[in-house]
Amino acid sequence: MQEKSDEQLMTAVMVGDQVALAALVTRHHSPLLGYLYRLVGGDQQLAEDLVQETLLHVLRQRTYQADRPFKPWLYRIATNLARDYFKSAAVRKLWREGDEEEAMLHLYDSEPSPEERALAAEQDSEVRAALTQLGEEYRVVLVLRFYQGFSLQEIAETLRIPLGTVKSRLSVGVHRLRAILTPVQKGVD
Amino acid sequence: MPHSQSSWPFERPEQLTDLLREQGATPEECADLLPAVRRLSEWQAPQPSPADTRHLLARLVPELPALSPVRQAIREHQQRTSVAFLLATARAQVSLFGLGFWLVSALVTLVGAVVVLSKVLPDQELVLRLSGPLLAYLGTIVAFRGRGARVLELELVCLPSPLQLAIARLVIVLGYDVSLCLALALVLWAGGTRDVLVLTLSWLMPLLLVAGLALLLSLRLSVQAAASLAYVSWLALGIVSPPQALLFAPELLVLPGCIGLVLLTIALLRLHTGMHRLLPYA
Repeated sequence: MQEKSDEQLMTAVMVGDQVALAALVTRHHSPLLGYLYRLVGGDQQLAEDLVQETLLHVLRQRTYQADRPFKPWLYRIATNLARDYFKSAAVRKLWREGDEEEAMLHLYDSEPSPEERALAAEQDSEVRAALTQLGEEYRVVLVLRFYQGFSLQEIAETLRIPLGTVKSRLSVGVHRLRAILTPVQKGVD
Repeated sequence: MPHSQSSWPFERPEQLTDLLREQGATPEECADLLPAVRRLSEWQAPQPSPADTRHLLARLVPELPALSPVRQAIREHQQRTSVAFLLATARAQVSLFGLGFWLVSALVTLVGAVVVLSKVLPDQELVLRLSGPLLAYLGTIVAFRGRGARVLELELVCLPSPLQLAIARLVIVLGYDVSLCLALALVLWAGGTRDVLVLTLSWLMPLLLVAGLALLLSLRLSVQAAASLAYVSWLALGIVSPPQALLFAPELLVLPGCIGLVLLTIALLRLHTGMHRLLPYA
């Protein structure tokens, strides 16, 4: 039997279909968690909370139009929630006092679990730090493109920006990433 | 809460090169940027366990909208294609037209065909030009007679909009008239009449014109008055010579029909936008 599309499942969810909700959540839970995890700089607890908040918004807003692609809509909600979170008073205070990286580091160091400590010690922390140093607008497009595998068009729809802007942000983002990571690579070599 | 790591979506290095090219990087830039981009795979994200997903679902399920069979039925109904919906609405509207309408329309057409075939009148086209619009008159009066009984409020609470109902009724009336037109053409052809096409168009085109004019006038007048005025106007045109020469010139044979279709479109659009004026006590 042919697998139902996201749009078909969401249409069914809107009329209260529990099976469709289970299918939709099972399909998107892991990618969405990965996206938000990287967007918030590796804070797993915060990412999990944002995943839940995103899906609650999906169910509560009821603004979904069946003729629109579901995935960009879902990720737009997730991105906006993450942005709202960082704009909230407590986080903004940190941002005013220090730089973005410091705020990010504070966020995922606030309740460090043994797993998180172990993770931070691993190699991935270099890439995490490099992505955190990028501006938010560049980090979002890089994560969508290289971790979520979004097409340029999907990124444009998700962020509601022109295709040309997506390309230029990706280009700038990748060049900055290379500039940040290259000294590290040389050091390793 | 143990978590496995999510996989990197790009298995082959060429995929990353393709992505860089797609965003406008030159081959030299690709070679330069690729090592940095490849390093992104080093940062793995946690993957939720099935238990995590179940826990999340348990939190989400209470937020689901209540399953309403009525709402679902309406939604499914609305999701049908517009043509299927129109035909379904038209089918439901057929019962509005009594047996008298079907028989009288067929009889008028038959009389027209008999008069033409018997050649009792020198101007055969004139007979058809005057009898065709009579069907439009009948159709308008029967299809939209509810307007006089002020049923618009009832129509507004129905699933099809008043505009969709009007279109569905026009589909029935004009569909039936076109069928009669084809039957007329067949009868004339079987009777050995020459210029069957011209005669048939002489019947159908004025019909469309009168139907359009009647529906447009019905937005301001009662349906009876609008249909009568439209038909009488056409009769007057058919008798007065100068407009005849202009309107019934062979090269302008389809002109009345085109005008009729334009008038029908305007009438339907006005019906849609000026609905409030048709309500009682407006």
